[in-house]
Amino acid sequence: MKMTRKLALACTTAVLGSAAAAETMTIGITQNNVGVDSYQTTYEKAFIAAAEADPNVEVVVLDAGGDVARQIAQMEDLIQQAVDAIIIWPTNGEAVIPAVRKAHQADIPVVVTNSNIAEQGFDFIASFSGPDNITQGSRSAEIMCDKFKDMGIADEARVVQISGQPGYTTAIERAKGFEDRLPEVCPNVTLVETQPGDWNREKSQQVMEAFLVKYDDIDGVYAGDDNMGVGALNAAKAAGREGIIFVGATNFSVGYEAMAEGDYWGSIYQSPVDDAEAALQTAIDVLNGEDVPFLNYFDTPKITQDNMDQFSKPVF
Amino acid sequence: MTPQDRKDLFKRGAIWAFILVELAFFSIVGDAISVSDKAFMNVDNMLLLLKQSAPIGIIALGMTIIMINGNIDLSVGATFALAAIVLLDSMTWPFMQSLGNWAIPLAWVFALLTGVALGAINGLIVWKTGVDAFIVTLASMLGFRGLVFMYNGEQPTSHLNWTLVDFAEAQFLGLHTATWFLLGTVLILWLVMTKTVHGRNAYAIGNNREAAVNAGIRVGPHFLLNFMLIGFLAALSAVVFYSESGSVNPNDGMLYELWAITAVVLGGTKLAGGYGSIISTLGGVIAIQLLRKGLGHIGADTQTVNLVIGLILIAVLILDRQLNRKGQEELKI
Repeated sequence: MKMTRKLALACTTAVLGSAAAAETMTIGITQNNVGVDSYQTTYEKAFIAAAEADPNVEVVVLDAGGDVARQIAQMEDLIQQAVDAIIIWPTNGEAVIPAVRKAHQADIPVVVTNSNIAEQGFDFIASFSGPDNITQGSRSAEIMCDKFKDMGIADEARVVQISGQPGYTTAIERAKGFEDRLPEVCPNVTLVETQPGDWNREKSQQVMEAFLVKYDDIDGVYAGDDNMGVGALNAAKAAGREGIIFVGATNFSVGYEAMAEGDYWGSIYQSPVDDAEAALQTAIDVLNGEDVPFLNYFDTPKITQDNMDQFSKPVF
Repeated sequence: MTPQDRKDLFKRGAIWAFILVELAFFSIVGDAISVSDKAFMNVDNMLLLLKQSAPIGIIALGMTIIMINGNIDLSVGATFALAAIVLLDSMTWPFMQSLGNWAIPLAWVFALLTGVALGAINGLIVWKTGVDAFIVTLASMLGFRGLVFMYNGEQPTSHLNWTLVDFAEAQFLGLHTATWFLLGTVLILWLVMTKTVHGRNAYAIGNNREAAVNAGIRVGPHFLLNFMLIGFLAALSAVVFYSESGSVNPNDGMLYELWAITAVVLGGTKLAGGYGSIISTLGGVIAIQLLRKGLGHIGADTQTVNLVIGLILIAVLILDRQLNRKGQEELKI
């Protein structure tokens, strides 16, 4: 009697246990290099917090420390552990493709986060979750155009562009978004010249110095990110040129501060928290069999001096 | 069994005992707290462990010989990256592309020759100038890394060849391609160090360089040969690893020299030279990879790996010192 009751109890717990186990999904993530900048550090914290908030999700959080070999080993470990889905922030958009293929062959869906892998790997991934750089570029164009309209110079303004590192998808897409959108919203604004600033503040400052010597009339500067935008701003300040409208992308804390001081007009707000939550949600949606767009973008809103009080200062 | 033999046995066995402790720990703790349903001590997982040990392992094996000599090579990480670039870039050269898949072995040869040449530069400078290997290879570490960045700027160098990837991912008799290269290197170097004159000379030079010179060992050419060997092995490591991942970042291989040295020291090789073994270094490499893997398995923060390895390294050095001190005391009596 006692025995049977015990057995029955054991059976029910076992059933309950397995039912609960079927509900939970295990998601593994291998990140690029946590700790190298505060964007990635904040991303990891937000990711863990989001996973803890969801009782159906268990996560294995790994960090490659910027080392491709370690990231590939981590991919293999996650496949070996038979997790339900893998999220990867590639250390190198091409080197990880064979490892991603392995996961694909093991029927584990892979979600790429933040920066996409190269096109050869697209067949092996379920979705990409990250910022839409083309939209970021076109939104920057809109910010700049709106400001020119306010100032009443939308018919004659001249703009220069400082783009990111040549060859980087992010740089190419942002430049394309800006160049395509600007003539649509402000047909009479001329983009005078584009030069790469390589994501580097000093390089961008030199590029801007050259622009200032070359052109007497510059009304606006578009930089591929705030780091370069602030470099250009410093060049303009040193040359004593005022009234130039600076618009960047990926709002950095330096950009935010320059906006608070009134030197820098606007940017695109890209939050690591949104980035992390979007990646986890994409993986969950894929596992639930929902229709997820192949390129699953999270929103990166416009930020200008007018609405900056709605955003907290970026941590990076 | 003399006390000396017992001490040796203890020293050589220590790393393997440590590996057993790690295995037991991660199996038990893994069962309790890992989110994974799979056991840690799973055959596939252990095979993966060997495979993942290969990149640093192959370098660490060469480093053992260099350190038995009483030298050190800090440039292996940069050599690794440069050989990887030669491997991947050479396959895109027009004449190589016209060769079809025959370009693959040729690209390997180019990469390996690059490693040998870079090692020869180190060896020649150490031989001809007599400057300490630490300084020479510190300089070449910076210099070689400079070459890596000059090659393609900050951009990754890429060439994805699926034939090559399939070869590198293959499993023969259950072992991955990389594992075969690792075990092959272990076997050859073990034979060299235990069965050949070159191996005996390596220990002799590390023990007492002056005595070795007096005994007629040509120390300079010996060093040159060993630096060419470790250059070759750093390139071999790159060949094995990058065959499976067709792209190299310019900062790849950074800190590999330190991981390799850590593995060698964990394996009981003396920094001062004259003592060490290839097999124990393999143990050191496996111990490190096991820690990385195990801590990931139980869900510990990746950065704790560094902390734990640092603590273990200090423990190993203290243990080593204690054992040596005891040995000296025994001699006095």
